[in-house]
Amino acid sequence: MMASLKITRHIVRQYGILLLPVLLLFTSASMAAVSEQTGGSAVPNPGTDLWRAVREGPTPNVGTSQVQSVGSTTLIAESGEKWRTLRRQYMIPWGGWLLAGMLGLIVVFHLVRKAPERFDESSEQWIQRFPGYDRILHWFMAGTFIFLALTGLVLLLGRFLLLPVFGPEAFGAIASACKEGHNLFGPLFMLALVLFLLRFASRNWFTRGDLSWFARGGGMFSGKHPSAGFFNAGEKLLFWSLAFAGAVLCVSGLILLFPQFGQSRELMQTLMLLHALAALGIVAFTFGHIYLATIGVPGSLNAMNTGRVDADWARAHHDRWHRECEEQGLIEKQQS
Amino acid sequence: MFVQFVEGPLWYFSATVFVIGVAVRLLFALRMGTATPLSKPRGSASQGAIRAVFSRFVPRREFRPRMRLEVIAGYAFHLGLFALLFFAAPHIEFYKDYIFGFAWPAMPRWAFIVVSEIAFAGLLVLWLRRMLHPVSRKLSDAGDHIGSILVFMVMLTGCLALDQSHESLRVLHFFLAELLLIYFPFSSLMHTFTFVFSRGYLGASFARHGVKA
Repeated sequence: MMASLKITRHIVRQYGILLLPVLLLFTSASMAAVSEQTGGSAVPNPGTDLWRAVREGPTPNVGTSQVQSVGSTTLIAESGEKWRTLRRQYMIPWGGWLLAGMLGLIVVFHLVRKAPERFDESSEQWIQRFPGYDRILHWFMAGTFIFLALTGLVLLLGRFLLLPVFGPEAFGAIASACKEGHNLFGPLFMLALVLFLLRFASRNWFTRGDLSWFARGGGMFSGKHPSAGFFNAGEKLLFWSLAFAGAVLCVSGLILLFPQFGQSRELMQTLMLLHALAALGIVAFTFGHIYLATIGVPGSLNAMNTGRVDADWARAHHDRWHRECEEQGLIEKQQS
Repeated sequence: MFVQFVEGPLWYFSATVFVIGVAVRLLFALRMGTATPLSKPRGSASQGAIRAVFSRFVPRREFRPRMRLEVIAGYAFHLGLFALLFFAAPHIEFYKDYIFGFAWPAMPRWAFIVVSEIAFAGLLVLWLRRMLHPVSRKLSDAGDHIGSILVFMVMLTGCLALDQSHESLRVLHFFLAELLLIYFPFSSLMHTFTFVFSRGYLGASFARHGVKA
């Protein structure tokens, strides 16, 4: 069991980075598919002239309807076409490029950077970094986030990426499942995010020392770690990005999830774009977080898995926090 | 073909395995009996058994602060799952068509969504605790994880099929539920039924020996 675990770790460390170009190719393929499919149909629609006349007729093209809901008296909502064009021709390809670009950056960074420092995992001294509640909260949020990201990307890119592979019937089922799953797990992520922000906000306020951390690029290229407390400036930046994007995602998601409160079509369209933009941004950011927490900075993942870290790792990456722990006698000896 | 198999032979097979498997395991548990007590009884065994069955629903005061999360998550998951299993409209329809021949009032769709969220949150927290707590992790074996994953997958596919617009999603949910029924009697999921016996046995034994616990 232990041997297989070691082999798996070795494979992930050595070859995990190879997965990134595969993902890069995958995302690029989606964008190529988008550009191909935005051409439209060549078959002429016999009703085209009639509907064009309705759309271009006296403004506004509104009538009467027995349906008492927002927009029910509008025969053709012209804003829908603009929204569709914006989403298909700009947001989806650009979003794809953003994710592919981020993956590409990570690959390039991994190849040009100095080899990351490794610490002896059987070191004699360790420090408790995250108690059980923090770890459960982190993985609960991470799990729901990954589920939402995957289902959301299927809803955003699936038409171009999965439809040609699976065909209309299977893709219809996948998309329906993703929509239901996305709506179901959204509130769970919201709950986790609120608890997470409340739990960690006090440790993530920026301090003066964080500027020099940014100025030195977190020591990623020089190999010398700038001074940091419990969280370094990069982690704080991720935290506040997540807080901001998470707030946008939650508010827009709730308004989209409950359309029965009289929201206008235009508001829903705007929020859908905003929701997707915030999601793409934070997913791209999360790629970096996952890279740094696994192969980018060896030893980091232990903090969230076992709750404790090697004392040497703490001294190298979070020297001020290590000093505090030392002063308070929180460094513990490994039990043999 | 697969649909007919899932709705026909596999359903009858899984239901049979579940019913017979659970019955046999309970029968064996009851036949184990108790050791003949030689000492003079210091209290009523039956009263002790009943008291233990109900008193264990609440953790002892000394453990409450450190068990808060597990207790809340445990109740959220178990009560949520119970409500989904017996009061979700599609399930009631299924029981009417396949098992009982009659129906009862179902919870509205909004309640189904709320209950699903609560049950999922509870299950995820319980499973994460099992994975992250050093003692729980060591006490858990592959069977426990298979049980958790199967229950999660059944719940997830059920919710993904909520739209009821795609037959394939419903069949996938049905298929996984059948796998769960087959796995159930051979796993620690049997605690659904055996918790009454284990608590009762312990409570009776304690009461007979005059232990107030």
